[in-house]
Amino acid sequence: MVLTKVYDAATVFRHLNGILNVYKPAGMKVKHVRNAILSNICKGLNSLEQREPRELPKSPLLGTGTAGDDVLHKIASNPDLSDHILSAGPHYTPSDVRFSTVAPLGDHTSGVLLFGINKGTGQASCIKGNRPVRVYHITGRMGTATENHLPDTHITVRSNFRHVSAERISGLASSMQASHQRKMYELCGVDLQTQAAYELACKGLIRPADNNHPVIYGINLIHFERPHFTLELHAINETEEYLAALVHDMALELRTVAHCAQIRCVRHSHFDIRDSLLRHGWNLPGIMKNLRRHRDLLREHPQMMHPRQINLQA
Amino acid sequence: MFFSAIRNILKNSQNAAKYTAITAQLRHLRGQRNHQVEVGLITPTDVTTNQHDTPAEAAREGAKEVALDFGKREAHVPSFNLAAYVNNSSTLKKFIDLGVDLHSIEKRKGLGQFVLGLDFEKNVKPHISFLVDQGVSPDNFGRMFTKNPLLFKEDLDDLKTRVEYLKSKRFSDEARARILTQNPYWLMFSTRRVDRRLGYFQKEFRLSGHDLRLLATKEPNVITYNMEHLRKSVFTLKEEMGFSPKELSALIVRRPRLMMTPPDDLIERFSYIHQDMGLSHAQIVQCPELLASREFRLRERHEFLKLLGRAQYNPQEDLYISPKTIVQGNNFYFVRNVAKSDLETFELFLKTR
Repeated sequence: MVLTKVYDAATVFRHLNGILNVYKPAGMKVKHVRNAILSNICKGLNSLEQREPRELPKSPLLGTGTAGDDVLHKIASNPDLSDHILSAGPHYTPSDVRFSTVAPLGDHTSGVLLFGINKGTGQASCIKGNRPVRVYHITGRMGTATENHLPDTHITVRSNFRHVSAERISGLASSMQASHQRKMYELCGVDLQTQAAYELACKGLIRPADNNHPVIYGINLIHFERPHFTLELHAINETEEYLAALVHDMALELRTVAHCAQIRCVRHSHFDIRDSLLRHGWNLPGIMKNLRRHRDLLREHPQMMHPRQINLQA
Repeated sequence: MFFSAIRNILKNSQNAAKYTAITAQLRHLRGQRNHQVEVGLITPTDVTTNQHDTPAEAAREGAKEVALDFGKREAHVPSFNLAAYVNNSSTLKKFIDLGVDLHSIEKRKGLGQFVLGLDFEKNVKPHISFLVDQGVSPDNFGRMFTKNPLLFKEDLDDLKTRVEYLKSKRFSDEARARILTQNPYWLMFSTRRVDRRLGYFQKEFRLSGHDLRLLATKEPNVITYNMEHLRKSVFTLKEEMGFSPKELSALIVRRPRLMMTPPDDLIERFSYIHQDMGLSHAQIVQCPELLASREFRLRERHEFLKLLGRAQYNPQEDLYISPKTIVQGNNFYFVRNVAKSDLETFELFLKTR
């Protein structure tokens, strides 16, 4: 692929399509991320070369013999000032860019956040319809429970956590994973010990049919250092509150209390945290580079765009 | 009632007759590419002012030129923006040449109408030459008039008085030019009001004359800022953060802009700097840039330094890192020159939080 440098805003805007993978910082709303990116795109586009204002009809200064005269041409040029940037306003405003979110993240969650830009909005809704799995790293802090199970509210309960060990947490995690899987097959109406269940499992992941039932596919402990523990969790349709409540319930099972210190989305389908765009990269060149990277990624994995069939009817 | 209605209709038709006469002349004039074309025909009064020039122009009508018809916008048609009138008004054309952003003017209430009614020779030119006399660079006119087009409403004598007031307070020539350039609203304030404001700052922070002039020149916008906001942030700085009067005046003179930042943000930054980074009040006064930097930026950089084991802000010990350098430059500069690491490491670190 040959890359050429572009200085023209219209060309850049024509290629501003696709899926954008942004690293959302914790404590920032999705709406604010979206507004920051949109305004940066427009700022970048408006600082590039713009088209000249339209011309009004030429005055008859130019006769037949004077067509080659530069000075006369300059005098005779008659730009339509009502089309000038200073009178008509900047050429690109945030409302000119179509923008859609693939799946929302909560305010305290950081990590991979996907946006569809311009023609990418269609791809975004395809990906959304497929309900891809998201992978989270959730850090819990034992010893204190808070009102909404997140760190920014009042502490409600304190307790001891000396008896909690890594083995006990991972044991609990795998039993929770097993019970979630069993629940899924039960909801599909098949017994786990039958041929039907085997065939269902062969067809791939059992996905929920609608948007509001959280399903967990895997939980395991990846890091333990008192009072913190980190879980890796694969899920569909999860919300921040659901994950926080999950950590709270796990801690109660372990005879202690805990709250979520950090929730981080590390992967959304094939969109990895390694390719996501950090806050200092939220400018037009960075965004264009990121869009190009993910265009290639979508080409490598076309199944992300095709609807899959196995659904979990809850 | 009935008669008055008829009289109105008659008046309108008379105006229309005048108007058609004028448009013919105007077309002719545009054919000549004359710059004195003026169609600010929004109100009938403008029609009458144009009427005064007609004899001279009518004399020139003898020359049979091809009149250009640009499909001119009729003046009585209402418009949503100033762009519709730009091609027909020499004042607006001149404004565009100066770099005034008409688009942002028309978004503010009443200003579009005001700018449309201006006459360049009569209302604008004297003010511009006055500003040039004060040492304002012509490059800044566009930005200044975009911010405050109402400057042309002020009487020239008033403006002179206000500048004389600054002179009497021993502001140097450069300082005055800077004040007028940086804060186009300054000249809108009466001398009494400006005097009261300057008095407030002098009394509140016990500033010397020199320091007050430095403050006003450094950030002229502070002087004309909303008093309510100023009082709130001064309260925050003094009572909530607990700077002593001496520290406060030093802080204010070094970074006047702190008074214009929202108090909630200030408190958030201060509590991070003071409690998490462990810097004393004296150290914060030494580098007020810390308070001017957004909280997430401080947090990212401080935590990265802490991870590398380089967050050492005590000048008496080894491996001292000046707090001033933490907030300097972009991330690349910070990572290379302050943290002595590389950008990939920093990015990986940012992606773990």
